[in-house]
Amino acid sequence: MRLLVPLLAAGLTLSGCVQTQQYADLQFAPPKGNYKLIVLRPEVEVGAVTTGGMVEPRADWTEQARSNVIAALRTQQEGRGGQTLILDRRDSLPTVPAEQVAELERLNAAVDQSIALHKYSGVTLPSKRRRGLDYTLGQDAVRFGQRTGYDYALFLHAEDSFASQGRVALQVLGIAGCFIGFCAPNVGGAGQFAYASLVDLRTGEVVWFNVLQAGSQVAGVKMGDLRTPDGAAQMVERLLGRMKPGRDVRRAQAAQRATP
Amino acid sequence: MTTFTRRTMLAGAGAASLLGGTVAPARILPSSLMPLVGPGYRPQDPDERGMWQQMTRVEEEIAGSNLLVADPALNTYLRRLIGKVGGPATSDLRVYLARIPEFNAMMFPTGFAVVFTGLLLRMRDEAQLAGVLAHESSHFLLKHQLRQWRDTRRKTDIYSFASMLGGMVGGAAGYYTGNLDQLAQLGTIITLFRYNRQLEAEADALGIKLINDAGYAPLSMAETWEQLIGEVELSAAVRRKRPDRGYSIFADHPAPRERMIDLRASAAELTAPGKTYARGRERYLAAIAGIRPTLLDDQVKLNDAGASQYVIQTLAKDGWNGLLRFYEGESLRLRNTAAYDARAALSYAAAVSYPDVPADAWRWHGIYLAKAGHREESRAALQRYLALAPAAPDAPFVRQMLAS
Repeated sequence: MRLLVPLLAAGLTLSGCVQTQQYADLQFAPPKGNYKLIVLRPEVEVGAVTTGGMVEPRADWTEQARSNVIAALRTQQEGRGGQTLILDRRDSLPTVPAEQVAELERLNAAVDQSIALHKYSGVTLPSKRRRGLDYTLGQDAVRFGQRTGYDYALFLHAEDSFASQGRVALQVLGIAGCFIGFCAPNVGGAGQFAYASLVDLRTGEVVWFNVLQAGSQVAGVKMGDLRTPDGAAQMVERLLGRMKPGRDVRRAQAAQRATP
Repeated sequence: MTTFTRRTMLAGAGAASLLGGTVAPARILPSSLMPLVGPGYRPQDPDERGMWQQMTRVEEEIAGSNLLVADPALNTYLRRLIGKVGGPATSDLRVYLARIPEFNAMMFPTGFAVVFTGLLLRMRDEAQLAGVLAHESSHFLLKHQLRQWRDTRRKTDIYSFASMLGGMVGGAAGYYTGNLDQLAQLGTIITLFRYNRQLEAEADALGIKLINDAGYAPLSMAETWEQLIGEVELSAAVRRKRPDRGYSIFADHPAPRERMIDLRASAAELTAPGKTYARGRERYLAAIAGIRPTLLDDQVKLNDAGASQYVIQTLAKDGWNGLLRFYEGESLRLRNTAAYDARAALSYAAAVSYPDVPADAWRWHGIYLAKAGHREESRAALQRYLALAPAAPDAPFVRQMLAS
């Protein structure tokens, strides 16, 4: 028993984690300096995890989180020197009809799904092995860029959920059970899940993609909280902060460093 | 581990019934239901507000979908009709018509409905369509999605706690509870489906009351189910399969036959002797006239011969016309056997005697005449086809045929 408690504590601490996995186009260099970025309707959803493990959407938390994420995104992009427009409605662009924005969003959603399937869910395509991120939104995106004058489009989706009191209580029970021979400490609490894709509007290509997962096996322990400005800034930084350049660009940089 | 002792069975059943509700529901009386939402209803609680927020986005997507049928007159007609049978929510309901050749309609928790074109094809008159729309309106009026969500939340909450406590008690007593837990889980799932079936029955009961109040024949809802049962059975018979009768503890809707029987009983209860009820057949046919060829075309192309045959014959109970005869021919021709070809030829021959026949009927009539060796009649039919559809994609080909 003396051994069990610290082991359990260690196990529980380790089971919470933050993970990201990004892919970039081979020739991708993260945008810097004077670039123009448009963020198409960031999707944010925040909910509560019920005792039974379902996620109950919460309108008030979602609103709060959405405005925090938008503010954090703006600050972060300004720090990189870009001009950012965050589009909250499809019809707020003077030169592009709402229907066209909707079409671009739907196309991107389909491409994102494909990236998720073939890059993250293990269904790798032999034709796209070692080719970085080889996806494009095609001429639709190029025309959109020409009409609006933006260099990049960013699509962002973020979900966050928090354990209800019942869920926390269930976890406490599960841990308490360890002392009488029925151990179920990993009920699972809540977590953050977000992904973003960056599209180069001059070529139409999806140049960079990242997925963030932050969660804890312990109900009630938060790994960031989008409902707070700090938590939203942390999420944006984790997701978009360290943009990895593409392989070709990294090699060129390495070669440059090698030859003084 | 897979063997269940009598005691675990009993305990599991006990746990399941603890979570569940009542026995199989009897018919819900139309008079027993009252709408829970009034005009201009807004969400009340956090869970409902969360649901509405998500649905706003869903509606935006649906409203902009390229599957929607644009026809403004038809959309106005549908909106007015759902308004007539929407009870206290009449002015808040929205309806979208999606081009999907399937018998279906659905209501979303914020008061917008999606109707599939396959439904419009199958309705014989306005009273039948009003019945379906009233059923959907009732889901909104009785806050079904919210109640369903809360039911699921409550039952999964109880299950989780019970399962954890059961495990602990078993652990302390040195007794394996895994089997028991699986039974309780199954019990939970079954009661969730049963609750959903109960909600469907509620929507039928309030729906029939709504159409009765609007002056439509209450029996029309039972007729719709009768038609659907007939279609499913013929479709299965032609495919040489057994029809899925939907009798399952895992079904999320009541079995169609049960619904039909309940609706008939409710209709008998509501129908006032001597009163004449509106069927709105002419009005309905006028409203869908523009898309009826498309509806039939989409159905026939599903290549579900039994269903197509049943639908066309049911519609023809109100009288044959060139359009129905032509699509009867198409459905038979697509079965692609000599016997059915002969019947298809008869359908096309019958079709061309109606003034409203589509030009395509003349082409097929001509082709079948040629096959039967009637050269001159065939040429005449094909010339008629070219005269009616000079710009058809295959017109040059037909001209070539005639020239040779």
